[in-house]
Amino acid sequence: MTNALGERNVALIDILDRLLEGGVVLTGDLTLAIADVDLVRISLRALICSVEADREGTTGTGGRP
Amino acid sequence: MTAPRYVYAIGRAVDPTDLAGLVGIDGAEVHRISHRDLVAVVSVAPADEAALRSRLERLDELAVLAEAHHAVVALIATQTVVVPFRLATIYRDEDRVREVLRQRYEEFEALLDRLAGTVEIGIKLYVEDRQPAPAAPSTSGRAYLQQLSQRHRRRDEKWQHAAAAVERVDTALGAYAIDRSRHRPQAAQLSGAAGDNVLNAAYLVPAGRLIEFTDLAQRLARDEPALRVEVTGPWAPYSFTESDHGDRP
Amino acid sequence: MTGEPARAAPAPWHRFTTEPETVERDLARLALTIVELLRQLMERQAVRRVGQGDLTDDEEERIGMTLMLLDDRMTQLLERFGLTRQELNLDLGPLGTLLPRD
Repeated sequence: MTNALGERNVALIDILDRLLEGGVVLTGDLTLAIADVDLVRISLRALICSVEADREGTTGTGGRP
Repeated sequence: MTAPRYVYAIGRAVDPTDLAGLVGIDGAEVHRISHRDLVAVVSVAPADEAALRSRLERLDELAVLAEAHHAVVALIATQTVVVPFRLATIYRDEDRVREVLRQRYEEFEALLDRLAGTVEIGIKLYVEDRQPAPAAPSTSGRAYLQQLSQRHRRRDEKWQHAAAAVERVDTALGAYAIDRSRHRPQAAQLSGAAGDNVLNAAYLVPAGRLIEFTDLAQRLARDEPALRVEVTGPWAPYSFTESDHGDRP
Repeated sequence: MTGEPARAAPAPWHRFTTEPETVERDLARLALTIVELLRQLMERQAVRRVGQGDLTDDEEERIGMTLMLLDDRMTQLLERFGLTRQELNLDLGPLGTLLPRD
């Protein structure tokens, strides 16, 4: 994951700060109530549930193929 | 087409060639929906709404979604000014997207005008997590309480100094920026960073002053021994998308 | 997908798992975090009262001894479960961590 300056490894937590707290908030048609999905719930659920820690092999689905 | 659309951002001069081969969430092809000179950058949204909702609640799957979304925004932002959207804004179909562009035309135009030629810089300040030297075992209960009091006092002073330093840095940087915004401090367990995050701020800066600004940030941090600085970006202006008519409370 | 930059390993972060080998340790960690919270609150309260000067020498001695023994006991419990004091914490997201980090 590179950003415009070619810096590698844009930190996930910095992306989450911006995508969960920032960005234009418009009521979409999907009843996702994205405002509810904030870092508290995610942190707590992630703490309690079993999560695969090994994501080293996973590639993102964004960018050019 | 009647498929639901996931919206990444809105821009003006979004060149279709910039989108060639670009994929977003779940590998869906990114394309444009236009109304007058406004362009919504979208892709066909995942069909299963319930599955998407549950994916948002798992950190590992949320990460995949967030990175895919961010990759699209970041790429387009290198070509033209965009107003980035928050994660997971989905509309029923193409016409609905066009309708939103129509309804909010003035608002988006004003926002794009304001954001043109700017970038967002992230500044994170940390207080070092210095472990105190292990105390000699106390000889009495009273001595133990004395030790405790000293330790607490030292800790309070440390935080007061840090807070004052943060204010100095934030004020100085704010004077250089068009706008500033604060995010919540980052938990070390999620970021893996050393020390306590005491400031997690974003500054909107003219693109031409990017280097000057980051140099200033480094200089300010050097003058504050209590603090460590991390600079991130440049980002598309995620943290500066509030407008007068926004839905944000 | 060629040309994807290598993704760095995610930073380690606290999680309580449900794997059998770690469940006892994780439960201990959760319980001891709460105990540690109470212990720190008591310490804080004691320091405040000493600062206010409203304890007799005798009370100071007793409270101090109690807190000292509590601290020792916590150290022993941590050793027993193979935990460090730094591991005792709960991240509450925007509320920060339950216990202060220093």
